[in-house]
This record gives sequence, structure tokens and C-alpha cells, in this order.
Amino acid sequence: MTDTIRRAQILDTELKRPELTSQLEETWKTERGLWGALSTVDHKIIGRRYITTAFVFLLLGGVLAMLIRLQLAGPEGRLIGPDRYNQIFTMHGANMMFLFAVPVMEAMGVYLVPLMVGTRNIAFPRLNAFSYWMFLAGGLVLWISFALDMGPDVGWFAYVPLSGPQYAPGKRADIWAQMITFTEVAALAVAVEIVVTVFKQRAPGMSLDRIPLFVWAMLVTSFVVIMAMPAIMVASTSLILDRLVGTHFFNPAEGGDVLLWQHLFWFFGHPEVYIIFIPAVGMVSTLVATFSRRPVFGYLPLVVALIGTGILAFGLWVHHMFTTGLPRLGESFFTASSMAIAIPSGVQIFCWIATLWEGRPVFKTPLLFVIGFIVTFVIGGLTGVMVASVPFDTQVHDTYFVVAHFHYVLIGGAVFPLLGAVYYWFPKFTGRMMSERLGRWAFWLIFTGFHATFFPMHILGLEGMPRRVYTYQPDLPWHGLNLFASASAIILAAGFFVFFIDVVMSARSGNPAGDNPWDAPTLEWATSSPPPAYNFAQIPVVSSANPLWEQPGALNVANGLHTDRREVVVTTITTAEPQARESSPQNCIWPLWTAIATSVMLVWSIFSPWAVVWGSIPIAITLIGWFWPKGTPEDEA
Amino acid sequence: MRIVVGLVCIVTLCGCQREERQLRLDPPAAAALDKIALMPNKIGGAPPQIYFALDQPYETNAYDLSQGKRLYTWFGCAACHGDGQGGIGPSFLDGWWAYGPETVSIFASIRDGRPHGMPAFKGKMTTEQIWQLAGYVQTIGAYSARTAAPSRNDDKQTRPAENRAPAAILFDEGPTPVHPDQGPTP
Repeated sequence: MTDTIRRAQILDTELKRPELTSQLEETWKTERGLWGALSTVDHKIIGRRYITTAFVFLLLGGVLAMLIRLQLAGPEGRLIGPDRYNQIFTMHGANMMFLFAVPVMEAMGVYLVPLMVGTRNIAFPRLNAFSYWMFLAGGLVLWISFALDMGPDVGWFAYVPLSGPQYAPGKRADIWAQMITFTEVAALAVAVEIVVTVFKQRAPGMSLDRIPLFVWAMLVTSFVVIMAMPAIMVASTSLILDRLVGTHFFNPAEGGDVLLWQHLFWFFGHPEVYIIFIPAVGMVSTLVATFSRRPVFGYLPLVVALIGTGILAFGLWVHHMFTTGLPRLGESFFTASSMAIAIPSGVQIFCWIATLWEGRPVFKTPLLFVIGFIVTFVIGGLTGVMVASVPFDTQVHDTYFVVAHFHYVLIGGAVFPLLGAVYYWFPKFTGRMMSERLGRWAFWLIFTGFHATFFPMHILGLEGMPRRVYTYQPDLPWHGLNLFASASAIILAAGFFVFFIDVVMSARSGNPAGDNPWDAPTLEWATSSPPPAYNFAQIPVVSSANPLWEQPGALNVANGLHTDRREVVVTTITTAEPQARESSPQNCIWPLWTAIATSVMLVWSIFSPWAVVWGSIPIAITLIGWFWPKGTPEDEA
Repeated sequence: MRIVVGLVCIVTLCGCQREERQLRLDPPAAAALDKIALMPNKIGGAPPQIYFALDQPYETNAYDLSQGKRLYTWFGCAACHGDGQGGIGPSFLDGWWAYGPETVSIFASIRDGRPHGMPAFKGKMTTEQIWQLAGYVQTIGAYSARTAAPSRNDDKQTRPAENRAPAAILFDEGPTPVHPDQGPTP
């Protein structure tokens, strides 16, 4: 076997700079054309694809939201019938949570984490490609079935028994459950990659206290994903089994338990909120530091707050179930833990305010979105503390008050930072700046549109308007505020329209950005925009938390990697001392085949349990192809 | 690419029919659906043209089948037919159909009643409901599993669910084996 393996021979120390970059380009490049696009394992290409796809789903989900607002604008709406409406609000929720919010955050990590820790590719690059294809397939399954009048109609959390075999006919609930499986497989894959990248591939010298806060946030998020997602996969698989082969996980008459569903779902569902929120606060910390022109205030408390949020995330899922009739002690415990989450959130807010206060803030568009985030998220946090109290929650449970609350924390807490982050990192993604003028328009339209749309929903909820109603009667006092919210939603939509216009126009003809347009301190700005396939011609060596500020001009670099095979530096977990040169796989088409085989099996298994048996054979074949030695220098680790 | 588009179109056609939920049937359609052409002996017959124009929804549409299952409970079918295994009335699960396995025969049985105790439900149920119930009753005695058929109830399990083709498992051939090649499969 050894003589069939081509060995790597050329070290980067033997090469001059132009030779070095041309040879690295040759080694790391993605071929042009369709085959190259399908087989690439470059984290930047996959990350960009992931982000774009997630934003397409945001757009589609936004269209559904506008349909909802149109239907509810007046009483006795006749635009959408009750059955379509059920599908639309379910699709809106499921799409936004599973196909937009979680994937887009993970995708930002896929693109940025390897650059920010100074390595050449993400760990397990082929798994990364597989993850994207699975995510795409899951999204297609959901949206194609919606187009076929087969879209799930059981709410984004699909409570049994209404989603169970007796009350949800057809395959609609199964589509929902299997879409979960697709996206969770994708999310788990990315989580594992990010954990390993952060732990083992950091640039030499990037000890734990020098990791950029966004990378910390992605690390914590990845651990939350790894611990939370299995619960929902167990739940959705049990649901499919109940519906297809007649198991009794959720059938009380045969010893199953209806409430088990809610526990399993929210044990995932609440951490899910933090899976979306923690990367966002990582983005905020990054943006605040760069635009305040100073290192972030309270690095250590911020990191501890991230980890604390990640841990607390698993201790408060029951607050979604306060009206199910729980023991008093349980209610008190989960009230207390729900309120405790305000502590790490508060610590972070004060650290950001302190950073802005002590710095010389530059109010560019990204920072505007951060300010919008702080305002909106604080309001959402306040209503969060309100609904954490059982007597109050009992009043507003399943009303528009809750709808208002979670849109404040999700859009305020995650979408605002994300849009800011897009404005901030867009130059790195594309090499071009976004328009500052359109950016301000987008911000102010989104900010005012958002608050005018969702603030009235608090009042609607207090007036007793239940969520998920497809219409309401004229004699109920909800008409005026609903009309106002619907009209404001148009402003919100206009803001997103300006944002998308800006993205498309800037990607084509924005001003060239240069390597570091914001004068930011972290490693992703140490390479060109967009970065070359190999990210860094020489691996940077880090001696502080803000390397580009401490060592302006030139960074120290590490040498001694082969250039004629894909190689990354492996470092120790705590102090990031170099340990080994590790090969990184070449481009590979097998992840795509594996994803197709897995998708066929998963969709087929909605219709027949035998799919799991027969469908696993192609998966095994594609996996064998995936792991079969390719006779390249990379085979030798 | 053309194949993909073609496949999507085919799937669209199948999917639409299977999962569509018609919450209110047009009165003229309901009236037309009531006009089945029975043979003089009232045992079997042909459904009206509109039944085929609608693409036999009551046999293939998941929502209609599941509505049928609820009607089975609401109208007390279980009082005589049990969970499908029979009681005072005949069993559906044994795969033997006294008046033939066609949906239109089952429709006639429910609408007009049969000798020896089967009451007529005309006037108690709408035409649409009778069709839904007939389609559902047919799935109880189906030999091969239908993906659109309902699944189990949240009750004690007494037999495999309709989408598991219980009749194929519980089918009693009797002394003379049946010939599935003779006549339509239920």
C-alpha cells in the first residue's frame, strides 16, 4: 500500500513567496465547473453557499409572514382558508427556526471560525460538504411538500396528540418530523467540526484567553447543539414510528405519555433559542470592539456569560409548559432558572455598553444594527422575565403576547446582529463593501418597521387574541391594532428589500474593500478579501487577543508545512502550542452521493419502515466510497 | 433537467390529490355524488361520473379517509362491527365482503342499509360523509397497505392500524382458498 501513496515532499520554507502562493493555490484550489462546485470541501465556498441558502429561506419565510399579516389585517379575512393558514404559520415557524436561524448562524461559523483561528480549512471538510447537502435536501423536502399541499400544519413544535397518528392525517406531520432529521444531521455535523477546529486547529499561540469572542460563541453553541439536538431527533423519530408502524410512545392508553413529547421537544427547543442567540452575541462582541476602536470590555466575564448561558439553556425548558399542570416545586424551580438567564445576559449588555462608553464609537451600519439589537433585545428580555412568572404566563400563554415576546428576542436578539454581521463581514466574503447609504435606509426601515409591527402584538395578547387563529370576528376589539401591525409589516418588508438589493448590488459593483476595511483586530482580516483557497500563505502566530492591533503591519508566522499536500497545524487545546502537521482531505464528490442516498432513505422512510433497511445499503456504499483511500499524499495523516 | 421537471410534475399531481383537504364540498357535487347507478339486486353498481372526475378522492385522499375513521366512531359503527373484527355485524378484517369490496357497494350499504340489521344512514349523514366512511371501511379490509390510510388511534391496541394492512395479517381464507385474480382487489 505504501508505494501507491504519493508522498508530500516540498516544504514551504524551501519556496520563495510567489512560488509559495502559486503552489498553495494549486494544492488547495477548487476546480472550475459543475464538478468542482459539487465536490468542493473549501469551508469558504460551503459557508457562502450555506449563508446564501439560509437567506433564501429567510426570504421565503418572510413572504409567508406577509401573507399572515395580510390575512389578519382585517376581521373575517378571506385571503387564506383555515387549512392553508395552518400550513403557512407552521411553515413560517419551522422554516425560520430550522432552515434559517440555526443554519445561518452555523454557516457564519463555517465561514469565519477557520479564518478567525488562523487555519486553512475547517476540521472534517468532507463532513462539512455533506452537512450542506443535507441541509439543502431538508429545505427542499419542506418547501416542495408545501407546494404539493402537503406542508406540515401542526405548528412548528408539532404537539402530540394533534400531530400524532389519530389527529394528523396524511404525511404532513411526517414531513415536519423528517425535515427535523435533515436539519439536525446537518447542524450536528457542523457542531462537531467547529468544536474540533476550535480545540485543535487554532493558530500557534492562540491560547484560550486569546480566542476571538465570536469563536468562543460558536464553540459554546456547538456544544449546546451536540447536547440538545439528539433530544429532538429522538422525539421526531418516535413520532414517525407512532404514526407509521403504530408504536405507542405518545399513546397514554398503552402506557405512552403525551407530555413526554413536550419535554423532549423543549429540552431541545429552549436551547435552540440559545443556539441562535449565542452566535449573535458573539457577533455583537466582535462588532462592538471593532467599532469602539478598543478591545472589548470584560473579555473574561463575556466568555463566562457565554458558557453560563449555554449551561443555563438546559435548565429552563419547562417554562414553555407552565400551563400543562406541573407540580408547584417544578414551576418555582423553572421560574427561578428562567429569571436567572437575565444575569449572564445583563452582564453582556453592561460589558458592551462599557466598551462603547470607553471607546470612540464609529457609527457605521454594523454598529447601528448592534444598537438596534441592544434596544430590541432588552425589551424582549423584559417580557421574557414577565412570562417566566407562572401567574402571568398562565394569562398570556398562547396569545399574541408570546408571539410579540419571541419575535423581539429572535429578531431583536439574532437577526439584528446577523444583519450587522453581514454588513461587517461582507467585504471579507466578497471583497466589496456594502453601501453605507442603503445600509442606513435598511436599518431604519427594519428597526421602525419591526417595532411598529410587533409592539402592538403585546397589547393584542393582553386583549386576549390567541395565536394561530386564521381570522377573528368583527366584534372583537383587535381590528385596529392588527391593521396597524399589518401596515407596519410593509415597512419591515421594505427594509429587508433594501437590504437584499444592497447585497446583490454590492456583490456586483460595490467599492473594493481591501484586506481590512474596518481596521479590525482579528485574524480573518489578516488575509486578502475574499481569502485565497488556502486562507493564509503562512500560518500566523498569535501573541495577544487582538493580533492585528497589537502587531500592526506584520504578524509573526509559522513555517514548516508541506505545500504539495493539504496540511494544517494541530495545536494543543489550552495554550495552542504546535503539536503536529495534519493532512486535510482533498475535494471529494462522495459527500454529495452520501447526502443523496441519505435523503432518499429519510424521505422513503416516511412511507415505509422498510426504507430504513433497504435504504441503508446505498448509504453504506457511498460511505465506503467516501472513506476509501484515494492514493493521495493526504492519505498519510 | 427535463427528467427532474417531469418527476416534480408527476409528484405534484399525486401529492395534490392525496393531501388536499376539501373542507366544504360544493352542493352540486354532493348531489351528483349521491347518484350511484346500482344494479337491480342493489348489491353493486357504478359510482357517478363525477366520482372519477374528482379522481376517486374517498379512496386515495388521506384527509377524507381520516374523516371516515372519525365518523366510524361518531356514528357508532363499532357497536355492531367492533374495531373492524365484527360482533353483531359482520367483520371487515376477515377480508370477506358480503356485497363485494367496491367502495360503491359499501356506500350503498351505508346509505340504504342491508337486510339482517344494517340500518340506512341516509338522512342521518351527508352524502360526503357516507363516501368518507365507505372509503375508510374499505381500508379496514384492505390486503395491501395504503400510504394514505389512517394510522392507529390513541387507544388500546386491538389490531394493527389501517395503514399496516391488518386484513392481510388477519385474513381468514376459509375452507376454499380465494383467487385474487378474480375480481377487483379491495
